[in-house]
Amino acid sequence: MSDLDPVIGIDLGTTNSVVATVRDGVPVVIPNRAGQLLTPSIVAIAKNGKRLVGALAKRQAITNAESTVYAAKRLIGRRWGSKEVEDARRALPYALVPGPEGNDVRVQLGGRALAISEISAMVLAELRADAEAWFGRPVRRAVITVPAYFNDGQRQSTKDAGLIAGLEVLRIINEPTSAALAYGFGKQMEKKVVVFDLGGGTFDVSILDIGKSVYDVVAVGGDTYLGGEDFDRRVMDWLTFTFAKENGGIDLRQDKMALQRLRDGAEKAKCELSGSTAASIHLPFLVGGGDGKSALHLAKQLAREKLEELTKDLIDRCVAVTERTLKDAGVRAVQVGEVILVGGMTRMPRVQHAVRELFGKEPCKGVHPDEVVALGAAIQGHALTAPQPKGQEVLLLDVTPQNLGLMVVGGYFSTVIPKNTTVPTSQTHLFTTVQDNQTQVRIAVLQGESERAIDNELLGEFILDGIRPARRGEVSIEVSFDISADGIVGVSARDVVTGQEQSITVTATSGLTEEELRRILDEQRDDLLERKQSERDLGERRGQVLAIVREIEELVPAVTGALERTRFGKDAIQKAEGVLARVRAAVAAGDQAALQAEEESLERTLQLFKGLAATGRPPGR
Amino acid sequence: MSVADLSELIDQGIKAYLAGRVKDALAAFQRALELDPGNAKARGYIVRIHAITPATVAPVAPSPAAVPLPSPGAPGAVTLPPPGTRAVVRLPAPGVAGASSAGRAATAPSARSRPPPEGEEYDPSPWDEGPSATGTLVLDSAGGLDLDAVAEKSDIRPLVPEGGRGPAPLPARSDVEVWLGAAKELFALGDFTGSLELIEKVLQVDPDHGEAREYLTQNEATLVSMYESKLGPPYAVPRLAIKPEEVMWLNLDHRAGFLLAQIDGMVDYEALFALSGLPRLDTARILANLIADGVITS
Repeated sequence: MSDLDPVIGIDLGTTNSVVATVRDGVPVVIPNRAGQLLTPSIVAIAKNGKRLVGALAKRQAITNAESTVYAAKRLIGRRWGSKEVEDARRALPYALVPGPEGNDVRVQLGGRALAISEISAMVLAELRADAEAWFGRPVRRAVITVPAYFNDGQRQSTKDAGLIAGLEVLRIINEPTSAALAYGFGKQMEKKVVVFDLGGGTFDVSILDIGKSVYDVVAVGGDTYLGGEDFDRRVMDWLTFTFAKENGGIDLRQDKMALQRLRDGAEKAKCELSGSTAASIHLPFLVGGGDGKSALHLAKQLAREKLEELTKDLIDRCVAVTERTLKDAGVRAVQVGEVILVGGMTRMPRVQHAVRELFGKEPCKGVHPDEVVALGAAIQGHALTAPQPKGQEVLLLDVTPQNLGLMVVGGYFSTVIPKNTTVPTSQTHLFTTVQDNQTQVRIAVLQGESERAIDNELLGEFILDGIRPARRGEVSIEVSFDISADGIVGVSARDVVTGQEQSITVTATSGLTEEELRRILDEQRDDLLERKQSERDLGERRGQVLAIVREIEELVPAVTGALERTRFGKDAIQKAEGVLARVRAAVAAGDQAALQAEEESLERTLQLFKGLAATGRPPGR
Repeated sequence: MSVADLSELIDQGIKAYLAGRVKDALAAFQRALELDPGNAKARGYIVRIHAITPATVAPVAPSPAAVPLPSPGAPGAVTLPPPGTRAVVRLPAPGVAGASSAGRAATAPSARSRPPPEGEEYDPSPWDEGPSATGTLVLDSAGGLDLDAVAEKSDIRPLVPEGGRGPAPLPARSDVEVWLGAAKELFALGDFTGSLELIEKVLQVDPDHGEAREYLTQNEATLVSMYESKLGPPYAVPRLAIKPEEVMWLNLDHRAGFLLAQIDGMVDYEALFALSGLPRLDTARILANLIADGVITS
């Protein structure tokens, strides 16, 4: 693989994803094949069995809710039974089931239980295909962003998703770090930066300490159920209420088609109001009038003030979360050097106003908030693969994303390796017993930010036995954590006096077993081979079909003559032209299924034409 | 005569028939035959109505051009002659072998299909003699039946002998059988929509009816391909052919409104089928109607 092979940066979002690259030294967003810069992170199996990814999946998300998977990012790398998964199960309309080993989450889609990595892989594969269409050549390498609070398991799942999508994931980087990179921060500055990220489904606030190309995420806060969709819902509720009031109590929420259009209309109006003071919402023939009456229209004007009134409490929540995060980190608003806005919702003037009031300064708006994270990832991808000018290198080190440690008495969490420690690393701590004559201890290895062990992620556990019987507190147990350059964590516990030792090795996993991952990758290879075979088949079929098309075309004059002598079948030529048009379109599009579907009509047309041409021929010929 | 009027009459007739308003249906079909004496669909319905409801429908005097002439041995469908020959209209006959089950549902069955009650004998009927010895009736050069030829050639006698002798009434056939028979007949006549409506009625009563399911599939597939043929290639992108502000003045239902809202100049037909959430047939029908009404264009 050459260094000239393209590298892409991907912002794999909860609601929308963006892909970018660096071209001729300039970071640019790659539009998808429909010309849009944002691709909804949504996968669906439509009611006709077709797999949809992106905007089309979104457009049927309400009418086909059970088979439309969105917000998979909330579930990636999560354990079955965790609070996050339980919350998601209550909120999501699609079915979640435990994985084969009962510890990860699967989504029931199209009759299969798919790992969350597989769902994310479908979105990544779509972005990859968009990038390949844009570059005109294969794309194999990517940098993918994740929230700063993602643990090793969630990062590994994201990497697996990239692998399934056929991408070599050069690096997983934190979203706030990526945003800061896009602004070029870190080269000649040392300051605190707040990244205010109000996306479609989540709100994240990160405080970064930046200096000398070191990006330290010192605090993270947020609300995983607060985002642009909540703003849309407020507009939808207002529209539903006013419509019911004006139309004898008709509840639009009872009609999925109406609700889908209502959501699309509400989102569109909300976006328009970032640039204008009023927006029109016209939804003709929205819902049946009942009792055989004509369908009803919805036509409303939404003023910016009204939107602000409807969503005031949501903006207040964002401010409160930000204040709490600053307080937890011991940072005062005036100490913040820059505020970066990320996420489409931050384009709302009222949100910008709230940020300005909170920090007492104008937030950075130089880079589009929807694109900033992907652009930063593209810059990092470029830095990793292309030689950088001396002194301008931006090198992100692999660091531990969260604290690593043990559960200690009282159910508390004791940190052994703090977060943001550069790997590889090794740390040793001494622990002791809590009971007299205690001969064994349980070593529970955890990762997380909480002081309470139960709130953190359990990576593994083991029992150290054969401890010398003694009064409590008299036994010294040495616990060592080693993290290799590959991110593999080794934990060992040793009775200092007896030398009795036990250890465990923890590798971040996505929930997919090795075997499953191999099977999925094999399937991808099979798909590739099948595609190649199908291309060969298509070539052959195309030749056969075009021969029939030519034969029919040659028969047209004779058939026209025959039809002139009868009252019947006047539309035969027209129908045949329809068939030929469809066949030609299928040939042009290389659509084998469409060709196959038309084959019978084509054959029938040929037989009919042969028959008609024969009857129309003068006797004796 | 307007094609639209004729089509409207046929629709009215079918709707009345399906609603059980047989007299209205018969009247509508007969008016249709007055407009277009060769109309196979109207004839088919009249024959079926006479066949399945003689006890409840007062005979309606047929118009001269609409004499239901049983042609022994004829299949229950209109067969088109090869180009260059004179058109021959074969009408379905009640109770004739090879006719549809709706025809077989007649309460005045042929002697072949049902023996007379014990001790009674019917007069011999030409129906007993197999295929008609008389020639087929031909259309005159101006189109329509040659009524004089019909009068001359017809030797058919009344099915119910004079003197009050008649066959014992048949046990009533179930609605399902009648509907299914009628659906098959409509299918054969090329009225797939009418056939589908009846099949759906059958399946409402008996959702596991295998034959009805087969007809449902065939009807739907045929209708889908008919509608799709009006759309153009599946990867064509439809566009609004009128101004957006004119959409409000159309006469659409909310499903058509939903589909129309998805047409944004970016989405092709195949994608519309996927995201409509409606059965393919409904989507194809709505789109075909939008094209026919000039609302969208490919």
